Amino acid sequence: MSGRFPRPRLVRIVATNLIRYIFQGAVRNWLRNLGGTTPALGSMSLLLLVSGLIGLGGYALYNLDQIEASQASVLHVYIRDGATGADIIALWNRLAADPRVAGITYTTKSEALVRAQSIPGLPQLADSSESNPFPASLDVQVKTIDGVAAINAIALQDGAVDPVYPTSYDKGAYQRIQSILYGVAVAGFAFLGLLGFVAVTVTVNSITAAIHARREEIAIMQLVGASRWMVRAPFVIEGAITGALAGIGAGLVTFGLAAAGLDAASGAFMQFAPGVTLAVAALAGAIVVLAGLVLGSGSSMISVRRHLEA
Amino acid sequence: MTRAYGSRRAVDGVDLALHPGELTFLVGPSGAGKTTVLKLINREIRPTSGEVWVAGIAAHRLKASRIAELRRRVGVVFQDYKLLPRLTALENVAFALQVGDLRVSDEEARDRSLDALEAVGLGDRGGSYPHQLSGGQQQRVAIARAVVAQPPLLIADEPTGNLDQETAWEIMDLFEDIAAWGTCVLVATHNVEILTRLQRRVVTLVQGRLVRDQPAGRTGRMAWLASS
Repeated sequence: MSGRFPRPRLVRIVATNLIRYIFQGAVRNWLRNLGGTTPALGSMSLLLLVSGLIGLGGYALYNLDQIEASQASVLHVYIRDGATGADIIALWNRLAADPRVAGITYTTKSEALVRAQSIPGLPQLADSSESNPFPASLDVQVKTIDGVAAINAIALQDGAVDPVYPTSYDKGAYQRIQSILYGVAVAGFAFLGLLGFVAVTVTVNSITAAIHARREEIAIMQLVGASRWMVRAPFVIEGAITGALAGIGAGLVTFGLAAAGLDAASGAFMQFAPGVTLAVAALAGAIVVLAGLVLGSGSSMISVRRHLEA
Repeated sequence: MTRAYGSRRAVDGVDLALHPGELTFLVGPSGAGKTTVLKLINREIRPTSGEVWVAGIAAHRLKASRIAELRRRVGVVFQDYKLLPRLTALENVAFALQVGDLRVSDEEARDRSLDALEAVGLGDRGGSYPHQLSGGQQQRVAIARAVVAQPPLLIADEPTGNLDQETAWEIMDLFEDIAAWGTCVLVATHNVEILTRLQRRVVTLVQGRLVRDQPAGRTGRMAWLASS
């Protein structure tokens, strides 16, 4: 095989033509066709904004669920009053050896009393008794809420455990929490899926309409010898510009709303939307921009394809 | 070549060879298959059967991804000009040159496009947009665009259909000049006066069939078939 590497000047000319034709041409055409693109830009901005806000809301809800699940997956194993230190250590070791257990802390009777006095209604109960009615406990943090029942079963077999009130395990409560978590997850995914479908459909339709109005231009480009990628590339870049602008607008508003909420009432906001920080809001904004970019360019690619000769 | 739409044959067994430097007119009544023949040559459609060869390229079996290679060898002129409305005359011509060959620099594209526009008498209107030009001027720009890459074949579908007689003659003069420089030119037309006056080769289609192929200098007897 023989041949020479193209001369630098030729490479420069080809690169210049490509950049001018694909990028500068796309920017110029985008500006010229702004009237036709505006509906797509508007609907995309709105849908991306709603998606961004729902995404942030979903993230906050996920964190809320995680906090609830984390609290629900703490099993208090109450120690009978006569249990010796060796009994408690043996129970500790049995529980700690289980791979489902994340950690164990020991709460003495006096610590349990102090904790109870901070809970509304319980100080009176503590005061009415001559002795401390609250048992010592091993507070077992189980890795997932699914494992609590099994750990409870292990604890019930141990002699160091209080026979009357052995653990804090409430089968019904755990099942309810699991059902709620599952329901929230299913509803969240279904809603996001529906929103995604609407966003894609509306965007594709808007961009398709804008490109359909320029079908004559596409036909002429092909008739004068433009290859398929040369027809397609400027339209994809135009779609990317539309998507990026819609994404930037929606991303900035998403970030701005979250930042304003954090600034106005940081404590309340963290209670309402745990885990949503400035960094998370910035990430959500960036994801919205990226989604706009992908949605815009992808929609254009699909729409132009319909007008290419077969 | 044959092209059928359902049971109807728009082009029925047409066997036609065109030669470099030859100006050929394709005539026939409406629905005779003139435009279909041009579309087959330009691979806008495929033949139902038969073969179409253009400058060594088998247009009949060309994949969609390679159509551009053929189009760069075929200049096309339409009745409605088909200029890109948002580009100037010069940009329209340069666009055709550069989409076909990215190695053409801006300077070269500009020079060659200006040459082409000057050749059609519009050297001073390069900066005008299509809507600022008359029909005849737009058709001249379309011709400049069609020949700027110096294709071996130029096809024109009713190029004078929207023009007055005087302008039509000017356009035909251009086609004669282009053919004189070695390009094969095929023009579909209804214009009987042009046929009889230019005395060029005339290929007559009726109901998709080639019924007559008159060499240059012998047109006239069947010219009535072009008028309908």
